[in-house]
Amino acid sequence: MQEVHNIDLGAVLPIWSLLPFIGMLLSIALFPLFAPKFWHDHFDKVSVFWALVIIVPFLFVYKWLAVHEFLYVVLADYIPFIILLASLYTVSGGILLKGTPLGTPLVNTCMLAIGTVIASWMGTTGASMLLIRPFLRANRHREKRTFMVVFFIFLIANVGGSLTPLGDPPLFLGFLRGVPFFWTFNLFPQMAMAAIILLALYFVFDLYFYRKEGVKKQNNEESREPLKIEGGHNIFFLLAIMGAVLMSGMVKMGEVSILGVHLTFQDMLRDAVLIFIVILSMATTRREVREDNGFTWFPMKEVAILFAGIFLTMVPCLKMLQAGTKGELSFLVENMQEPVHYFWITGSLSAFLDNAPTYLTFLSTLLGKFYPGVEGQEAVLLLIRENGIYLKAISVSAVFFGASTYIGNAPNFMVRSIAEETGTEMPSFFGYQLKYSLPILIPVFALIAWLFYL
Amino acid sequence: MPVEKILFPTKFRELSFDSLETLLVLKKAGLREVILLHVISREEVGFVPFGGYLKKEEEKRRQEATIRFEDWQKTLSENGIDAHIKIVVGEPVYEILKNAENERVDLIVVGRKKRIEGGAFVGSYTHKIITRSKVPTLVSKYMVQFQWDDAMLTKTNDRLFEVPLVTVDWTERTQRLLGFLMSLKGIVRKAFIFYNFTVDSSKDKTEVARVKAESSARLEKYCEKLRSSGIEAEAHLGSGGMLDEMIRVSRERKASMIMIGNTSEERFLKNMLDRSLSYQVAKLSELPTLLVP
Repeated sequence: MQEVHNIDLGAVLPIWSLLPFIGMLLSIALFPLFAPKFWHDHFDKVSVFWALVIIVPFLFVYKWLAVHEFLYVVLADYIPFIILLASLYTVSGGILLKGTPLGTPLVNTCMLAIGTVIASWMGTTGASMLLIRPFLRANRHREKRTFMVVFFIFLIANVGGSLTPLGDPPLFLGFLRGVPFFWTFNLFPQMAMAAIILLALYFVFDLYFYRKEGVKKQNNEESREPLKIEGGHNIFFLLAIMGAVLMSGMVKMGEVSILGVHLTFQDMLRDAVLIFIVILSMATTRREVREDNGFTWFPMKEVAILFAGIFLTMVPCLKMLQAGTKGELSFLVENMQEPVHYFWITGSLSAFLDNAPTYLTFLSTLLGKFYPGVEGQEAVLLLIRENGIYLKAISVSAVFFGASTYIGNAPNFMVRSIAEETGTEMPSFFGYQLKYSLPILIPVFALIAWLFYL
Repeated sequence: MPVEKILFPTKFRELSFDSLETLLVLKKAGLREVILLHVISREEVGFVPFGGYLKKEEEKRRQEATIRFEDWQKTLSENGIDAHIKIVVGEPVYEILKNAENERVDLIVVGRKKRIEGGAFVGSYTHKIITRSKVPTLVSKYMVQFQWDDAMLTKTNDRLFEVPLVTVDWTERTQRLLGFLMSLKGIVRKAFIFYNFTVDSSKDKTEVARVKAESSARLEKYCEKLRSSGIEAEAHLGSGGMLDEMIRVSRERKASMIMIGNTSEERFLKNMLDRSLSYQVAKLSELPTLLVP
């Protein structure tokens, strides 16, 4: 037992121990594409299957060490991650934007701009859920709506979430690993550039189609309702969430060890406050507000189940990368030299796998590369101080590239689902990439890579 | 107010159509239109994890529902009742209540049409609907198995409006209940008007007798009111546990339905721990239960 305890797990794990992680991510990537009905009905079993494929042999071979590793990823990463997502989702689901704004190019562009700004503060999921229905309502009289929803996904469901750890899951995972809350403000130039280009492009497209369609303003005016916010008190809950997260990054209250996993009191307090906010939001928001918002726990349940599988199966991958050149993934650590390499590789994988585990994987790669053997938060702070450009590269690309496929980021599929439900045709998986991501997003990302990371 | 328009939401479970057929008799009481509603639960077609929306599945379900409804529609129109088909995607309770409000229906018909031993008469959706509905709601129980003494009995509730047991108190709610009952004139053969009398042991016998006599007189007054509007009525005074008494009398008198004022409250905790009488009756009696708010 003692021998097993002293093992540097990342250095001894075989390459095939990555298979469950790859299997899990490929399931997320391929099942929705080729067997959507099966996936919809059985995704939970698939997730449990891949988790068991790694947990059982891992526990058998490494016993308490394996227990420790799984417990760490569950207690330190998974649970806080799900609590934050659930709190942002619940609170934003309690804010109802009623009424029908007039879907002109200018109004639409303004809505997208507002959504982009608030996404960093209420999460890309929260901002998307808040605005997608009013956005669709505003444009129900328009013939061509597909491109509008695609830009909505680009901007509000992804790019907009890059300024704070509340914005997008990868950044919150970074925060949990020790990246300071306000460090992500350093991503503002990249975010502003991407947002401005995309908004300008959107305006041009929308203006073109608006004129081409010859939209009759009069007809639209008749069915308009004045804009109104219901459940507005949830905005204070959003501020409270921000405060709780900020507090956990700034206050030191000591720590406690649960079966060898060190957890800080400030993190536990943050999670308790977030749960309390969820309860408060549920108790104080009228049921009709949530119903009009189409609020349901189902997407949250899906995310919780899938991410349980992702977090558990990624343990070997993270350990190998953290081991740096000593692990089986040393080729990756050795060959990725420049920030631009990290930008493109993190981005490409984020597009086709979920961006949160991808970010965590490359954060571990960087820590393994530059600071092998150095403790978590200390290594992160060293990385920021000495090689911050690398962290910026993976942060920006993990968030931005999430927009380039439907599977890159969780809100993408929620937005798509709501758009299709309300009668907006959406492109297929490949159609989305060929018609929109490749010609629009990739050139913007190339420009960012060239300006900031070469 | 006559029952002119009914909302009939269905998941096409077994005996749903039989249950619908039991409502045809309401034509005599003024029924003109039935809204046939099928709600495709959003969770069944939407939010495919990382995938989006099962458009083809939705279309398939819509087509299936349309074909089934068109068949039902034929039967209704043969009986001189208009039927409108609505198939929507959404959250079932929300959609049912929203459609009831938008369509200004006079009655919602919900509940399991078949219940076998051990199953619940009232599922979570039905519970939410009866708790929140602002219009009379009939918890239909077309075929049921239930325990009486040691025997397991099977009952088909196919003439539910003929002999209702109407549970009254002295509140405004009872007036609405009687109003609803009177709108069923021509269908109701006889109504049992039931009041549960609580014996207060702290009071002397004279006082108890006085209150009992007063209750009987009030009940008789209700009966007279019904008789004068053409509905035969019979007063029954019960005593003991309200729920048990009501079920006992309904069985003894072979009632076809229980009508009761809706006492469920739309409150977060009360909804979770609903012990309201109307909910308990809907849940525990083998008879269809009509709740009037």
